Amino acid sequence: MNIQFPALVALLFFPGGLFLLASGLVFEYIDRKLVARFQNRIGPRWFQPLADVIKLLSKEEIFPAGVVKSLFVALPVVALAAALTAALYVPLFGFRAAFNFQGDLIVTLYLLSMMTLCIGLAGANTEDRFSLVGATRALTQLFSYEAPFLLALLGPAIALGTWNISEINAGAGSQTWFILAQPIGFVVALVGLMGKLELPPFDAPEAETEIVAGAFTEYSGRGFALFKIGRDVELVIGLTLVASFYLGGFTNPLDFLWKTLALLLVTAALQSLFARLRIDQTVGLWWRVGVILVLLQLVVIIFGKLLSPVILPLVQSIFGG
Amino acid sequence: MDFNTAPEKFIVPIGPQHPALKEPGHFEFTVEGEIVTNATARLGFVHRGMEKGAEERTWIQDLYLMERVCGICSHVHALAFSLGAEKLAGVQAPPRAQAIREMVAELERIHSHLLWLGVAAHEGGFDTLFMYSWRDRETVMDLLETISGNRVNYSVNVLGGVKIDISDQQADEIRKGMDFLEERTKHYLKVVTEDETFLGRTRNIGVMDSELAVKLGAIGPTARASGLKRDVRYDAPYAGYGDFPVKVITNKKGDLEARFVVRIEELFESYRLVREILDKMPAGDLTVKVPRRIPEGEVISRVEAPRGELLYFMKSNGSDKPERIKVRTPSLCNWASVLVTAIGHNLADMPMILAGIDPCFSCNDRIVTVNRNVDSSQMDWEDLRRYGIEYYK
Repeated sequence: MNIQFPALVALLFFPGGLFLLASGLVFEYIDRKLVARFQNRIGPRWFQPLADVIKLLSKEEIFPAGVVKSLFVALPVVALAAALTAALYVPLFGFRAAFNFQGDLIVTLYLLSMMTLCIGLAGANTEDRFSLVGATRALTQLFSYEAPFLLALLGPAIALGTWNISEINAGAGSQTWFILAQPIGFVVALVGLMGKLELPPFDAPEAETEIVAGAFTEYSGRGFALFKIGRDVELVIGLTLVASFYLGGFTNPLDFLWKTLALLLVTAALQSLFARLRIDQTVGLWWRVGVILVLLQLVVIIFGKLLSPVILPLVQSIFGG
Repeated sequence: MDFNTAPEKFIVPIGPQHPALKEPGHFEFTVEGEIVTNATARLGFVHRGMEKGAEERTWIQDLYLMERVCGICSHVHALAFSLGAEKLAGVQAPPRAQAIREMVAELERIHSHLLWLGVAAHEGGFDTLFMYSWRDRETVMDLLETISGNRVNYSVNVLGGVKIDISDQQADEIRKGMDFLEERTKHYLKVVTEDETFLGRTRNIGVMDSELAVKLGAIGPTARASGLKRDVRYDAPYAGYGDFPVKVITNKKGDLEARFVVRIEELFESYRLVREILDKMPAGDLTVKVPRRIPEGEVISRVEAPRGELLYFMKSNGSDKPERIKVRTPSLCNWASVLVTAIGHNLADMPMILAGIDPCFSCNDRIVTVNRNVDSSQMDWEDLRRYGIEYYK
C-alpha cells in the first residue's frame, strides 16, 4: 500500500512507534505460544507479554553496587530507540517506509546491531560474574552471526542492484521469489535472525542453566522491560526484512501478515528442535558453514550478473526466444 | 614495567541458589575464558538431622521418616531400612511381598530415570525433550498412584512385608503403561543417540574411563556408563532380585552420551522386569510378624537406588528404638567424578556434567574438594570439630 505517513506519525504512532510496540508484543505472544505447543505445553494467554511489561514497568528499579548509573539507565533506552529508528526504513506492515535512501539497508542493520552492543555493554557495566560471561558471549555471538547475516541480506540487494530496502521490497515482488533463486541466503538470513535475537538454540548468551540470565542478570524493572520490548520490536523488524527480501516483498498488510507469520512458524519450530549450542559451536557453525555458503552464493550471483548480458541473448538465440 | 603475570582468577559460582540446580548446593568453577580450570563443591545446605531424628523414634516410626530422606527415590530408602530391620529381627518377608517390593522399586527407577532425562536435557537447553519426557513420566506416576495411592512417598513397605497388593486389573493397567512407555523410550533412545545438536553437547564430554571410575569410587549408572559392572541388584540380590534377576547394562565410552544410553537402556530392563514380575507373581501372604523390640545387633543393608548403591548401617540395642542409623546415599560417591571430569571443559558443559550423575542434594551433607594446590592432609577429630564450628558460623 503506497500510503506515506508523515514522519512524526510514523515515528510515534503508526506504523512505527506505539503500533510497532504493540505488534512486537503480539509477535512475542505468537512465538511463545507456538514454541509451547511444539513442546506439548499450554503456553501463555494472549495478554501475557503485555502483563509482563506492565508488571516490570511498575516495579522498583534496583541499581546494583558498582555500576555506572547513567549507563545503566541509558543502555535500555538506547537499545529500544535504535530498534524503533530502524523501523523507519523498513516497509512495516506492507506500508511504504517513512524514509528511504540508497544504502539504508546498511544503516538499518547497524541500528539493529545496537541492541546487541547495548546488551554487551550492559553486561560489562555490572560487576556480576554471570553478566560478564553473558556480555562476552553476546559480543562473541555478534561477531559470528553479523557477517553472514549481512551477506545473506546482500544477496537480493546485489541481484537487484540497489541497496535501498524499499526498492528491494518492490523489486523482490516483481520477479521469482529470492527464496527459490537464493535458497542458501534465505536459510542463513533466517538462522542469522535467530542468532541476532538470541533465540534457542543460539541462546548461549543468556543460557539460564549456566549463567542465569546472562547480561540481564542485574536488570530488573524498567530497564529489563525496555530491553524486552526492544527485542520484540527487533523480532518484527527482522521478520519484515527477511520476508520482504526473500518472500517476494509485500504491498499490503495482509501480504505482510501471512509472510511474517509463516516465517515465525518456521523459527518457532527451529527453536524447539535443537539443544542449545555452546558458544564455540555457534562461532564454528557461522564461520565454518554460514559464511562460506553465503560467500559462495554471492560469487554465483555476481558472476551471474556479469555474465547474463552474454548468456541471455545466447540462450534466447538457441531456443529461438 | 612491572606486570602482574599471574592472571586474576575468575570464579563462576553456581549455587546455592541457581536456575541449574533444583536443590541447594554450591559449586565454584574457576574459568579461563570459557574453559574450566578448577572445580570445588560445597554441600550441606539442607542438612536435616534425620539420622539423629531416627534415634528418637521407634523402628516403625522410622520407616516413615526414612521414606522421606529422598523425594525421588523414596521407596528404596524404606526398602533398605525394612530389609535391614527384618535381618536384625531374624525374619524374612514372604515371596509375594518381596516381588511387589522389587516391582515398585523398578517402577520408581522408571520414574526417576525419566525425570533425570528431562532435567539433563533441560540443562543442555533442549527443553522439548524435557517437556516430552516429563509428560510420559506422568504415566508411571499415575501407575504408582493407582497401586499405592501416592505419587511420591508410596509408603509401600512395612516391617516384614508390604501394605499393598496388586489386583489383576491393576496388573493390566501397569502392563498397558509399560507398553506405552517402551514405545516412547525407544524414541528417546533414538533422539539422544542421533540428534546432532544434542550429541554435540554429550559426545566426548565429561569422559571418565573405567580406571578413573574405580579410583574415584563411582557407583550406579555413572559407573556403569564407564564400563564398570557395579550393581547391587546383581552383585548381592535382595528382595525379589534373586527370583527375578536383572541384567546389568554397561557402556564402555564413559562420556555423557554413555550415561544417557545406559540409563535409557536400564529403562527397557525395568519394563521387562515389571512385566516378568506381573506374569509370575508368587502367591501367598503379604506380611510376617516383626517384634516391636528389635534384638541387639548391627547390620549393613545395601540396595540399588536409581542413582547407585544406597547403604544403610543400622545398630540396635534391643529396645524399640534404633541405637544408630547411618545413611550413605549414592550421590555422595559420585561428586568426585564431577569435579575431576569438569576440568578442561567449557563452562557451558558444567550443568550437563553436574546433571550427568543425577545428583540428589538433600540426602548428603559433606564436603569434597579436589585439585586444590595445597594438599589437604588428614584431619583428626579436633580439626574436624573446629572445621565444623567454622563452617556453620
